[in-house]
Formats: sequence, C-alpha cells, structure tokens
Amino acid sequence: MARAVGAPPVHVLGTGTALPGEPVGNDRLAHRLGLPSAWVETFIGTRTRHFAVDLDSGRVRWTLEDLCTDAADRALADAGAEPSEVAFIVLATATPDALMPTTAALLADRLGIEGAAAYQLQSGCSGAVQAFAVARALLAVSPSGLGLVVGGDVCSKHLDLGQDFHELPPGALVNYVLFGDGAGAAVVSGAPRGGARALLTHLEHRAAGFGVPPGQRVEWFGAADLRSGDGRRPAVTEDYKAVEHRVPVLARQLLDALLTAAGWRPETVDYLLPPQLSGRMTERITSELGQGFEWEPVSCVAETGNNGNALVFFQLDRLLPRLAPTQRALALAVESSKWIRAGFTVEAPQEASDA
Amino acid sequence: MRTVEELIELANTHLGTALAPADAAAELTELAEWDSVHLLRLIALLEQELGRPVPVDAVLQARSLRDIWAVAVGA
Repeated sequence: MARAVGAPPVHVLGTGTALPGEPVGNDRLAHRLGLPSAWVETFIGTRTRHFAVDLDSGRVRWTLEDLCTDAADRALADAGAEPSEVAFIVLATATPDALMPTTAALLADRLGIEGAAAYQLQSGCSGAVQAFAVARALLAVSPSGLGLVVGGDVCSKHLDLGQDFHELPPGALVNYVLFGDGAGAAVVSGAPRGGARALLTHLEHRAAGFGVPPGQRVEWFGAADLRSGDGRRPAVTEDYKAVEHRVPVLARQLLDALLTAAGWRPETVDYLLPPQLSGRMTERITSELGQGFEWEPVSCVAETGNNGNALVFFQLDRLLPRLAPTQRALALAVESSKWIRAGFTVEAPQEASDA
Repeated sequence: MRTVEELIELANTHLGTALAPADAAAELTELAEWDSVHLLRLIALLEQELGRPVPVDAVLQARSLRDIWAVAVGA
C-alpha cells in the first residue's frame, strides 16, 4: 500500500513518550568515546541523547519492551483510555529485544491487554508512519475500536564501548554520536470520539530508492555468522554522504506530494515536523523547506538524539498541546535504509460537532 | 611534521584519501572526498603524530588543509 488518498482519517486520542535515564551531553559522550566534543557540537549539532545502557559500566538498564511499556502507559493515560479497550497493537522498531517473541506481543502482556492482535514492523525512521498506515487499514474494518501505535529503538544495543574509536571506519563512527534510545506511542481510533487531539488525514509511505544502494544497513548475526567471521563486520553502517545528499531531496518530494494530496496551499500550513537526522541536518532541511513560509518547526532530535522509530511520536507529543482549532501540520520522515519517504498531514479536530 | 605535504601524505596513508599536494590550498568544501568525519580522524592522527593535543576549535574553523597544518604545528 503506497498511498491511500481519501481513506478515512486516523483520530489521535493521546500520545506518550519515554526516554531512558538522564540526558547524555556532548562533553560526556565525547569524553567516553575519546572524541573532541567541539567536533560533535559543530558537525552533528545534537546536544543530548539518552541511552538504555549505562555508559560507564555497559550494563543494560532498560529494554525496548520497558520503554515501549512506559510510552504506551502514558499514551493511554493521555487518551483517557483503558488497556482493555485496545483491539490491536502495531509496533515499529529496528532494534527488537529479540526476533521472537515480538516486542509487540510482550508489550500487550505488560499492559494487561488480553486477546488483542499484535503486529510488529521491522522499520527505521519511517516506521511510525508505516505503523499509522497499518492502524488506519485495521480501523477501516473496525472504526470504533482503539488501536495502540508504538515506535521505539534501543540503538545503544549496537554501541561497542570497548573498541578503539580511532580505528573505526567513518561510516560506523558517526553512529556513535547520532543515535539515542527512546519510545513513543499513540492511541488511535477510526471514529470521532470525545477528546480527540488530532486527525491524521493524508498519509503516504513509499519506497523511493529504486535501483539506489541502501544508505544504511543494520546487521543481525546468528551463531553460524559468528563462527564464519561475518559477525566481525560493524553491525551498523551508514553512507552518510548519500544521506546528506538524498534526504533533503526526498523530503522536498514528500512535502510536495502531501500538499497536493491534501489540496493545501503551503501558506495555510502552521507547523512542520521535519525529518530528524541530527540537530544540524534537521536545522538545515527545516530552513530549506520552510523558506518563504511561516511554518513553526517541531523537532526533537537535538535533545533526544536520533531514536529512529520513536522520533515521529516525540514530534507529535510536542505538537498536540500547541495545535489550536483549524491549525494544520505536515509530518515528514525519510528512512535512508532502502530510501523510504513517509509522512502525513495533521489537522486539528473540528469542535464539538465532530467530538 | 614540517610541511603540509607531509600532512597530506599522513591523510592518504591512514584515511584512504587520494589528496594531491595541489589540494593544500583548496577550500575543504571543494574537496570531493573530504568531509567532517575525515577531519575528526585527522585530528586524532595529528595528535598521535605530534605527541600533543592540537587546538580543536581552531582546526574546526580551518578552511583548507594548509590552515589545518598551520594550526596543528603552531606555524
């Protein structure tokens, strides 16, 4: 399903997010990695991030399941909904705690949700939008049910804190300063319901890198790979040059496609939720896309780090309290793995008549 | 390290670049294969080579390989 213009909107009833532990500033991270802090400030522009792992001891303090549970609890509370009302869960992640059981199924257990359908998507920065798209399809069948849409990543799973950072290839090194951990969630419905906070109206996600090599690759290793030596490859590599070049182009295409699908003139948009790569790149893309318009940017990456599937939820969590009646927002995400562009239009719910 | 050519050789040997002596004065942004991660790696290499810290803030402001060399050696 690449696009489904004209499908009924997704009603967002509440959102919640969770970050592990204290924020880790550039000085602390740079010191731990033996890198100059000024370099991180200047070229990455991300000020803080949160790690599920303890940077000093390497001890894992939170699992993805823990973070998703906290975020989902908060989203349910924000929506004024009970776990027993949830008919399905869609969870998006690139870093599940295990390949099986799925984090989605374990989350249902943790929340006390019995008998719900639990789907899990293997995805990156576009995962939140894909999860909302799956939720919309499910809500089309049963509009009055509630769905729980969740996205999260524990990127620190891939931080090998014992290695010599001066020897690391550039494509693997950048990951140590770009990423962070976190989870986000939203409670959604297909039908108007009292207290709806926003409507996701036009939603699009599509593969946009036909014939183009992937910009990011995350490996997983089985026992046979480890024995054959394949497990010695870096687990996460990024063609950051390609990312720098292609993401702004795909973001622009996505923005134009969403405006066309919604029939919106750009000057009627109030907020822009731009792709969240690093503090610096997001700032650049935001200023390029918003040139000539008074769109208020809603970003999180400079404080949260790039926590992949959670990002869009953090942006929604920041948008909803500001979204006044009749206001509009555009959410854009670009996943550099096999180049996926994904986004949606957001509208404030209509007053009483709709609620 | 007495010359910028030696710095270029250091980069080519350890960073996999193919910079030429003529690139010394070029704007870093004009060098097709140069980027911020190369700069980061070069700082570490220089510190190793010189046996002392280099002024990172000044290196980050440098606009050419010759600037970087001058800051690193205190020329």
